Amino acid sequence: MSENKEFVCDSLIIGSGIAGMQAALDIGDAGYNVIMVEKSPSIGGKMISLSKVFPTLDCASCITTPKMAASSHHPRVKAFTYSEVEKIEKTNEGFEAEIIKKPRFVIESECISCKKCEESCPVHLEDEFEFGLGVKKAISIPFTNAIPQLPVLDESKCIRCAACARVCPKDCIDYLQKPEKIKIKAKTIILATGYEITPMTAKKEYGGGRLINVISSLQAERLLAPHGPYGKVLRPSDGKIPDSIAYVQCAGSRDESIGIPYCSRVCCMYAVKQAMLLSGSLPLSEITIYYMDIRAFGKGYEQFYNQARAMGINFVKAKVAKITEDQEHNVILRIDKQEEGSVPMEVKHDMVVLSQGLLPSNKNFFGLNIEKNEYDFVASSKPDFSPALTSTEGVFTAGTACGPKDIPDTIMEAGSAAMEAVNYLKSVKI
Amino acid sequence: MKVNPNFLKKVKKYGAFDISKCFNCGNCTAVCPLSAEDASFPRKMIRYAQVGAQKEIESSLDPWLCYYCGECSDTCPRQAYPGEFMMTLRRYLIAKYDITGISGFFYRFPWIQNILVAGIFAFSLGAFAVYKGDFQELAAKIELAFPVYVTLAIAAYVFTFYRKTILDKAKKILISFDFSNIKETLIHGLTQKNFSGCSDTDRTRWIAHLLVMSGYTLTLVISNLHLLEPLKKHYGISDFATFLVFYAAFAILAGGFIMMYRRAKKKAQSSSFSHSTDWLFVVMLFLIGFTTAVVHISNMILGPQDPRVEMLYKINIAVEVAWIIIIVPFTKWIHIFFRPMAVYLRNLKKEEAQGKLFSMPIPGLK
Ligand code: SF4
Ligand code: SF4
Repeated sequence: MSENKEFVCDSLIIGSGIAGMQAALDIGDAGYNVIMVEKSPSIGGKMISLSKVFPTLDCASCITTPKMAASSHHPRVKAFTYSEVEKIEKTNEGFEAEIIKKPRFVIESECISCKKCEESCPVHLEDEFEFGLGVKKAISIPFTNAIPQLPVLDESKCIRCAACARVCPKDCIDYLQKPEKIKIKAKTIILATGYEITPMTAKKEYGGGRLINVISSLQAERLLAPHGPYGKVLRPSDGKIPDSIAYVQCAGSRDESIGIPYCSRVCCMYAVKQAMLLSGSLPLSEITIYYMDIRAFGKGYEQFYNQARAMGINFVKAKVAKITEDQEHNVILRIDKQEEGSVPMEVKHDMVVLSQGLLPSNKNFFGLNIEKNEYDFVASSKPDFSPALTSTEGVFTAGTACGPKDIPDTIMEAGSAAMEAVNYLKSVKI
Repeated sequence: MKVNPNFLKKVKKYGAFDISKCFNCGNCTAVCPLSAEDASFPRKMIRYAQVGAQKEIESSLDPWLCYYCGECSDTCPRQAYPGEFMMTLRRYLIAKYDITGISGFFYRFPWIQNILVAGIFAFSLGAFAVYKGDFQELAAKIELAFPVYVTLAIAAYVFTFYRKTILDKAKKILISFDFSNIKETLIHGLTQKNFSGCSDTDRTRWIAHLLVMSGYTLTLVISNLHLLEPLKKHYGISDFATFLVFYAAFAILAGGFIMMYRRAKKKAQSSSFSHSTDWLFVVMLFLIGFTTAVVHISNMILGPQDPRVEMLYKINIAVEVAWIIIIVPFTKWIHIFFRPMAVYLRNLKKEEAQGKLFSMPIPGLK
């Protein structure tokens, strides 16, 4: 590990998804210095991988990319990507964080993002940006609009053939790079660590992730994204265009049997949105949403839902109890059809999307003494007046780190966290 | 549909849990391997109970078609324990189908049942102890009174069951003579084969259940037909009676032990709740199997004349008396009859829908 570097800033933001970026921009605009730490190789968070947003059907990357550009070009915002926070300590002057910057095996200051290395690399890997649906190279820029536009070499998969080193015009491949330890002193912290979706393995009745045509909702986002892995919607097992697609709602929320009793708030709406997009891209396919109840609570959401019904999307009230497959990998759902009284039955679909819930992505807060709620989301110390406050003075929170929420709410909360942080910075004057 | 707003409260007395948590998603019915289009449960039953549709529940066969695999309770998103609810319904219905009303009373006040069992046992034992005549003769008389009592009790239950589920709705007597239906009913009655319909087949539970049920029925037959005379005859190891006693005792002890162990360990959903009447039932079962076997063995070793055999036999008969009077007619044991009967009546309803049924209108019933 190379020697310690030290940085000082007013506000340290953990996470650079839409919440982190919004807070960074707001604090930066107010005249304070911000550092964002991001564990992935690019800023942008989950939102940059989404297709469109509800209920406006705006293109998600058309909203996220400008924010990414703005925060990376902001004179008072600095980002450490591909970096993990090891620990944060509260000191008399504020906070001291230790972060580890993982090696990309590329000299970052030299790289001109020509992608020659990526083109030359002979190793193909599952692409995590496409949630396993597409392929990437062992050295690659994470995705087309990633910021920074720097390739990352997957050390564990690299065969050391040196193809990339030979073609790099700037000679900046460095197989010997080591992780770097970086110290950051900050006066405030914003936890914007975001969420993970309920794992495919969470419910054994849903095949435990083994059914090939049962995909995650984020995979479905990628299939629908304009620059997605296949450029169209195909089912994974055989590349066929699915004639009938089903959504299984509350697949990992509102289910005490798997220990997640809360509603994740976004899955009803993203399923409705995806269903609409699907009926646009596959006008001949049948789309069915199996739901317990549709929770369309936000501004314009109910109209959005009604519009989906009017478009001919089937809404069936039933909790899917079991998912299996037949020999052709068609997916079989077991439901209790309530519209006809009560009829236990099996229905078949070509492809099924699980509307998974939202779980907190980070649960230990790097050693900070932060109160959590019973599901490990950051607890707000004043949930009704200032939702961005946490139990530790100087630490604020925004977005899904402190509970499932949609993008508009996340952005509002990020603004609120930024405002709280700025007020705090003004008041302490340390 | 008439609703009784206090119905749920009433049912709750028969089991300790909260079915009001159910939000009607239907997961339980869909996951249930025994639920079918013409017998869709448990959600429908829960809904009926929640709205207070008492009559719909009391005329339903579904509670008896549920074998408590527990998959519904395992996967219920509200952890409302639908499987236990079905068990509770069975307790409730037994109480409801009991024309004397005593079952319901025992369910609500289990300690009274315990006291009565203990009291009858103590009283009989005391009476036997002071009895100076030929005890074998007395035992014969007692045991010959049993079948009359038991048959009356069972007949009353079976009739009420038939009346509530068929007669009240159809307003006429319906009987199925269909051979395959009768065969299926018998097979179900003898093997409880629906247990294996549970997809995570819990073999141990099925075997335990089968053992206990066969041992129980055999004991009932042995005592009701007065097959044993341990104070008169000297039984040998190769006697048929010895075989029967040993099988019954072994089946009850082995099966009962597995059940008790699972109840104490709460291993599966089906054993994770226990009503105190379930405990009394299991304990009495044990005692019956155990005392019968002890008497028989001591007879084989000591011979019929030994006073110790007579003493043991008196205890054995005293346990039997308490068991026959209190347990046999007033506990969930009666489901041995309801289960196959529900299979029979379900097929009967199917045949009725197809119009190929023997039916007899009852004059005056409209
Ligand atoms: S948003 Fe909809 S799908 Fe998601 S947990 Fe809530 S009710 Fe279920
Ligand atoms: S008992 Fe549970 S699984 Fe069944 S309908 Fe109610 S909530 Fe759903």
